[in-house]
Parts: sequence; structure tokens; C-alpha cells
Amino acid sequence: MKRRDFIAGAGALTALPWLAGCTPAAPLVTVLRPGLREGHALREAATLPPPSGELRCGVAILGSGVAGLTAAWRLAREGRRDVLLVDGPEPDGNAAGSLLGGIACPRGAHYLPLPDPGLAHVRELLADLGVLTGGLRDDAPEYDEQALVHPAAERTLADGIWHEGLLPTSTAADAAAAARFSADMTAWSARRGDDGRPAFALPLAASSSDPALRTLDRQTFSRWLEEAGHTHPPLRHYIDYAMRDDYGARPDRVSAWAGLHYFCCRRGRARNAEAGAVLTWPQGLSALTAGLRRAAAVRTLSGHAVALNERRAAVELMVQTADRRSVTLVADRVICAMPLHVARHIDPALAAALPREALPETAPWLVANLLLDGFPHERAGADLAWDNVVLGGQGLGYVVATHQLTRVARPAATVFTAYRAGWGDAGEARRWLASAGEADLLEFALADLDAAYDRRWRHRLNAVELVLRGHGMAIPTPGFLDAPARALRDRGGRVLHAHADLGGLSLFEEASWWGERAACQLLG
Amino acid sequence: MLPQSRSTPDLHDSATPGTDAGRHHPGLIVAVFVVASCGLAYELIAGALASYLLGESVLRFSTIIGTYLFAMGVGSHLSKYVDEKALLARFIDIELMVGLLGGLSACALFLIYAWAGSPFRVSLYALVLLIGVLVGMEIPLVMRLLHQRKQAFEALVSRVLTFDYLGALAVSLLFPLVFAPLLGLARTAVVFGLLNAGIGLWLTHRYRAELPQARALKLRGLLVLAVLLAALAWAQKLTDAAEAGLYGDSVVHRETTPFQRIVLTRWQDDTRLYLNGNLQFSTRDEHRYHEALVHPALAALPQARRVLVLGGGDGLAVREVLKYPQIEQVTLIELDPAMTRLFRDTDALAALNAHALRDPRVTTVNADAAQWLETAAGPGWDLIIADFPDPSHYALGKLYAVPMYRLMARHLAPGGLIVVQSTSPWYAPRAYWCVDATLREAGLHTAPYHASVPSFGDWGFLIAGREAGYRPPSALPAGLRHLDARTLAQMFDFPPDMRAPAVEPNRLNTQMLVHYFEEDWSRQMR
Repeated sequence: MKRRDFIAGAGALTALPWLAGCTPAAPLVTVLRPGLREGHALREAATLPPPSGELRCGVAILGSGVAGLTAAWRLAREGRRDVLLVDGPEPDGNAAGSLLGGIACPRGAHYLPLPDPGLAHVRELLADLGVLTGGLRDDAPEYDEQALVHPAAERTLADGIWHEGLLPTSTAADAAAAARFSADMTAWSARRGDDGRPAFALPLAASSSDPALRTLDRQTFSRWLEEAGHTHPPLRHYIDYAMRDDYGARPDRVSAWAGLHYFCCRRGRARNAEAGAVLTWPQGLSALTAGLRRAAAVRTLSGHAVALNERRAAVELMVQTADRRSVTLVADRVICAMPLHVARHIDPALAAALPREALPETAPWLVANLLLDGFPHERAGADLAWDNVVLGGQGLGYVVATHQLTRVARPAATVFTAYRAGWGDAGEARRWLASAGEADLLEFALADLDAAYDRRWRHRLNAVELVLRGHGMAIPTPGFLDAPARALRDRGGRVLHAHADLGGLSLFEEASWWGERAACQLLG
Repeated sequence: MLPQSRSTPDLHDSATPGTDAGRHHPGLIVAVFVVASCGLAYELIAGALASYLLGESVLRFSTIIGTYLFAMGVGSHLSKYVDEKALLARFIDIELMVGLLGGLSACALFLIYAWAGSPFRVSLYALVLLIGVLVGMEIPLVMRLLHQRKQAFEALVSRVLTFDYLGALAVSLLFPLVFAPLLGLARTAVVFGLLNAGIGLWLTHRYRAELPQARALKLRGLLVLAVLLAALAWAQKLTDAAEAGLYGDSVVHRETTPFQRIVLTRWQDDTRLYLNGNLQFSTRDEHRYHEALVHPALAALPQARRVLVLGGGDGLAVREVLKYPQIEQVTLIELDPAMTRLFRDTDALAALNAHALRDPRVTTVNADAAQWLETAAGPGWDLIIADFPDPSHYALGKLYAVPMYRLMARHLAPGGLIVVQSTSPWYAPRAYWCVDATLREAGLHTAPYHASVPSFGDWGFLIAGREAGYRPPSALPAGLRHLDARTLAQMFDFPPDMRAPAVEPNRLNTQMLVHYFEEDWSRQMR
């Protein structure tokens, strides 16, 4: 058997990486700004056409992100059939998906870590959708291997070479710093507060309220890292990446408690996967929102609520439908599953209870789906992985949408999804995102790929879908644990709130927990 | 790319003011331009060739550039030992030597790679070092020549460096855009060698009055020119021969498709197919492989009417399937249209599969078999033949994982069977038995067996079905060359040194099979 790859398909020319050819044809760019028009119309209290009809329902769920859909799923499971889901301006929220050139890809979040037994609602939901296939209550259940991330999962570009994994370990100093940090995080993961609860858990509400631990929320994560001696630059690049990825801000803006929570809250295991495995789908978490919609089989109204009035006997809502009509909706109960800064504009009671300053700061988020007619030429080191991160890069790397497929040969076309968050000051970043031209947005989105590949990769770029969210996620700044929004969980009445904003971490598990909680409260 | 003047550290030693700035020496300046072009060209050729043959292009390029620049530094240093009186003659000698060595470098490396194998790296870097030293001497010598001819130092340096850089620019653009694609690496090297030799000859002629041994120099120059011209004529044949050397036999067909490199070789009555350099079959013994792949399962299924073949665009498995007159439909799923076209429409190759792909019972679908199975509908298949490439990396490993076998099982008719080519139970025992464990994990009953295929060694297959109770058939179709009832029975026997080791099934997210396969084979390749 000849094992030398004499002809690798590439000619001698492909071995000359510095030779860029002519300028590539400009790709077809689509810019999406989900919720922008609707949100700003609410802010400016735009006048509405008079209502053209009236609808009634038992429960109205406003918003179809993970919180709203989990609530709908739970209510359906418990036999409630009088539920109406008002989709909101961005169906599936941060878990939305897309289809680009016939290839399924995420328009938002793309993976879910294995849930530990404390996340019973997530496990139950996964079992219902056929993702968790056995041992629901076991410490390590079995999952559909199609959804468990396939190797190679991650790689990092450092010093011009791709390395396996995300934590930089290529030099002895890197490895030592990484080992010290990992050991420290393992110790913190095992730590419990004086109330016997884990220091860091999901849902957030399951974390210990030990004041000794909560003091971590008074300082920034970068300060904590300095004090703990985690200062090795490549390690800090990795931590910086992790914070921007999940929290939309750098460690100097993030609460130390939240920073530690990121590294210490995940204890989920699987019978048929290694520790630290994640669940993922070509279309990202929209596989789960689609599954929840199917399982809930809920009546859905395409449109968004623009006004909410809680009356003694019912809640009166004004809904603007997707075809620009106004409809009055009268519901016994309402689950308001939208971001708090939007909810304030339609619910005067909430606006009174929660002043603007009390809202969590939010970070803008850019998701770029890049349709490529072929895989770009790779540089030296580890092969293309599912998640590809440029250490110290401007963006958050890119994910390969076709990674989970089984194919005899590499598909002729693929989608790379590039992410960016946590650049600059959140307010300025948001303003830039709102005003930047298409060409500037494109360059901004492609920064990491330009760093990863030689210039010719752009010849492969066929179409681009840029998804811009001005308020992509709440930033857990120091003090976020005591944010007033959290008090909304105990707000009685006909209107219940369900959104990750209430806890302050924009995570699937959190959003889902708030949805679950609202549904259970409503069911009594 | 660095032009060669970067490595002329002794430039300042010759800083004596010139007197006769008015006299020009266009010949020497043209020489600088050509010399600079050629110097860069050899470096590019060596780098391109190394990454072409060895891969790891970044590593290859940077080490070759490094070696080359270092060698040029050595050359610059050595240049000071050249006798002032014989400067021009030595410069011409160096031009001829560079022309000869550089011009033949690509051909030589191709040949060494094809026939010698391991000394390739040593030869590569030695050659780069040698050419680098010679090229490194060129510019310092030209400078001294011009200096001898009373050129003002400022003008001299600026003019030499200008043409040095211009030459580098010209070649850095022409090499990838014109020379490499048009001529190929071997002939490009020869063309640049001719330029070097040409400069040597021309200078000999131009300055014949100053040169004491002009005749001898000219003779040497013409000899080099003749050798290079011969090389130019033979370069293509030489690289073909090198490729043939690599495959052992003469190449009768080569084609690069969007999916792979197809090479067919023939020596006497033996035709071989290589895909991306990996042997797929040899006509000497392919009947052993394909009879073993098809008959143990199909002869046990007298009710079989419909057969699905996944992979195997050469049609050889289909040829065996068509030996059963009751078969009504064979569907072949082959990714590469070039493969099915080649083995259906080329008479010499279609003869190998007895024109199976032209049989009206056969439908050929050019699609990715895994994708096709995901969406395929229709009645179940009595036999599914999975003839996929070996699980040498993660993407291919998925074709041998539990979900793929569950998917295949869903496409089976009642009582139907799957047969899987599953690497060598002798060379890669854990990989082979991992496929067995994976089929069983998918809820199937398996029957492991193996056959001796001299080109591959002891090769393994697995028959799997939803129901237990597979029995090797007692009757086989007529016209088989290898299988009879006795050999068939022996195939299911695994002697004590081939017993199944304990292995885990292959899952999409762990890909144990790829690890087993790599480890088992690397132990064989030691």
C-alpha cells in the first residue's frame, strides 16, 4: 500500500500561498437586523392602525426565543391547549437558524453543553426531542451520537500554526499556565457554599448564595485573574475569547463571579461521550427550537405585541401582525418572553417597576454565514475542525456548518459561520453596527478568516448573510447578581416574565429555565 | 521574497572610489538581471517541488528559503577567495555550473523521489545548498568585475541592486503565472538553466579579448547548452517516467477530477487503478477481492432481486452481481462521474467489468452515497454492498459508524443482507473487529470472513443482517475463478493468531475506528 500522497490534487501553484490572483467577484451580501425596525418603532411610540379584529386565548406567550418556546412546550405537555404564541419580530430569537445555498446553518447560538442532573428541564426537553436517548435521570445519560460533536471538535490558530483544542498548550510555558488554570477551575467547580449548594451552577438560581462567594461579584474578572496569578498572555487570550463569546465583553467588564461561573458551572456527562462534549447541529440551536415548536404544536400568531394592559379580569394586548394589521388579543395570563428593554416599552407596569438604569447592559452580536463553493486551502497544523478559533484574533472564530454530516467526500459547498461580539464599548459598538455600510460590515465579519487563510480564500466566497443584533446578550457586569430584574421572578399577577435577561446570563439553559419556571407557576 | 543582494555582506569592502563613471557595461548589467531571475527561480522551484511531493508547504518553503539564503551567504563569503585576475573566467564558470545544476535540479529531484524514496530530503537540501552557494557568489563577483572596470561605486551599487531587484520581481511574477502552469516545474528549471548558460556563453563571446582561455570556456558553455537542450526535450518524458516509477508501471491514463486523482497503469497483462496514489485493484487478483465481496452474501440469497452497490465505480463488484440471472435491478452509487464514465465508455476498461455498467439492469447514480441513502425511498434492497474507502480519517470513519449501519439496515428488504469491506484483519485487526462491533452495536447479526488478495494481503469483510442465522452458501454461480465451496468455507475460519481483540464500536463522536486504523497500520509501516 502506497502511503505517500504523491498527487494531492493541488498543483504546484497552490504551494505558493503568497500569490494572490485577481480580485474575487464580490459575494452576494444580505444584511439582516432582526427586531431592529419593530424595536425602534416601540421606542418611538409610533402610532398604530386601528385594531381590525380581536382574538382570545387562555395563555399568550409573547416571544418565541428559547424561554417562550420552553414555556409553550411545558404547557403543551401538561395538556394546556388554549395557548397562543406571538412569534415576535425574531422567531427563535438567539437560537434562530438559516438555510444558505441549501445548507442548514445557525443564525445564532450553535451548541449546548451536556446538561447536568440539576438541569432537569433541559434533559427532559432533550429526551422529548429524541436527543437524549436513555438514562434521563442518570448522572451520565446516553445521547444521540449524531448530535454529539464529532472530532475534530476544536482547534486554535497560534503563531501561524493550527493547534488542536482551545486552551493554548503548544509551548511548555503555555502548558504550565493552562494546567494551573485548569486545576484552579476544577477546584472552584467542586466548591460548595455554606448552604451546601455548588458555588457555580445552572440555573443561576441553583448556585450558592454564600456571601463569601458572592463577594466575587463585586470585582472584575480581570482583577481576579491578576490576583490569582493567571497572567500568561496566551492563556489570557483564551479567557478573553471565552468571555467575549458568552458574555459579549472582555474580562475587565465582566464580574469575576460570572467569569468563574463560565469555567465552573458545567458538570454534565454522557455515557457515550467524553467529559466536556457538547451537543450541536448543522443548523445550530434552531434544531432545538424547531423541535420545541413541533412538540408544543402551539397555535402561533406571526407578529409582535406592541402594548400590554393588565386588567382585573384579563390582560389586553395589542399585536401588530406580520402583515402590518393591528389585532386586539385578550388573554387570561401572559408569559412575556422578550428582552427586558423591549418589554419595558409595551408594559407600563414593568417600566415603572424597572427603571432604565436597572436593565442589564447588552452587547451587540454579529453572526455571519459565509457560503463557500469549496473548502479553502488550509495552512500547516491541525485539520479543519468544527470550531476554529484565532488566538488573539478580532472575532470569535468560525464554525463549519457541514461538520456533523456523514459524506463519502467533502461536500462541494459549505457554510462557515463567523461570530463577533465584545469589541469596544457596547454602546459605541452598537452605534457602529447600526451605521456601518455593507462593505465595512463584511470586512469586519471576515477578519478571523482573513487571518486564518491566505487571500485566495475569498475567491470561494459566494454569498454572505450578516445577522446583526444590537442587543445580542446581557453583559454580566460586576454586581449583576443583585440586579433588580431578578426580583421580577416574584412578581405576581397575570403577567409572568421569562427571559435570560432576568438572570443576567444569555445562555440556553437559563432562558429555558425561566420559560419552564413561568409555565410551572402558571400551571400552579 | 528576498532578492539575492540581501546576502552580500562584503559589499562595503570594495568601497574604493571609482574614476571612470562614464563607461557602461551593459553586458554585465544584463547579466545581473538574468542572474537574479534565475537565482530566485531555483529557490521557487525547489520550494514548490518539495511542498508538491512532501506536503507541509509552509514548513518546506520556509526551510528551503532559509537554506538557500544561508548558502548564498556562504557563497558571498567564498567569493573573496576568487583571484582578481581570473574574475571574469570564474564568473562565467559559475554561470555554467549554476545553469547545469539549477537547470537539471527539478528533473533530478523527481527521479530521486520516484526511485530512491528516502534520500529525497537529503538530496533536496544538498542541491539547494549547492545552488545557493554558487548563486551567492554571482553578485559579489559582478560587483568586483564592474569595480575593476572603474565604475563609480555609488552608481555601481545602485545599478546592480536595481537590476537584481527587478530580476527578482520579474521572476516572482512570471514563475507562478506563466512558467509553472505552461511548462511544468521540470521544464521551467531547464529554461532558467539555459538562461544562465546563455549569459555565460554570451559573456565569453563579448569579452573574448580579455579571456586567456576563451576557447575552452566556449566549449564548456556549448556542452552545458547541449545537455540542457536535451533535458528540455526529455523533461516531460522524464517526469512521466518518474510518475511511472512511483507507480511501478507505465501510466496509461491519468486524470484529475474535482474529487480525486485517477491513475491507471499497465504492465503486460496487469492493469492497476490508483486513486490519490492508493491502489484500488490489480487485474491480476481483483477477482479474488470482488468474488469475496459479493458471493458469500449474494449466493446465500436465492430470493434476491435488487442489489445496491455503494462506491466501487469501477463496476467490478457489479460484474459479479450480474452473474446471478435472477437479479433484476442493480443500482451503483458512485461519487465521481469520471470513474463511471471511464469504466463504462472506455472499451479496454469496460472489458474489465465485462461491460457491466452498460447492462440494462444496472442504474448508475453519481452522488455521495451517504447523502443518497439519507433521502432514498422505495422498496428495500436484498443486498447492500458497502465498498467505501478505508477509514483513514475522521470524515471517512463516519461511513463505518453506528448511524450509517442503522441507516443501511432501514433500507434492507426482509431477509436482506449488508456486506462491508472492512480493511485487513491481519494488518489492522482492531480496525477490522471494530467494524464488526459497530455493526453489532447497530443491532445487526454479523458473519466475519476474510480472503487472501495478494495485492492487499489478507483482506476482511463482514456480512450483516437484521436476522440471525446466516449460513455460507453451498452453491455458487458458474464462472468463478477463486471461490469454490471449499475456499468459501475456509474464509469464515479465523485461525488462533487472528482471533478478535477486545474493541469498542465506532461512534460518530469518538471515532475509535480511525484511531485503531491509524495505530494498527502505523505499526505495519514501521
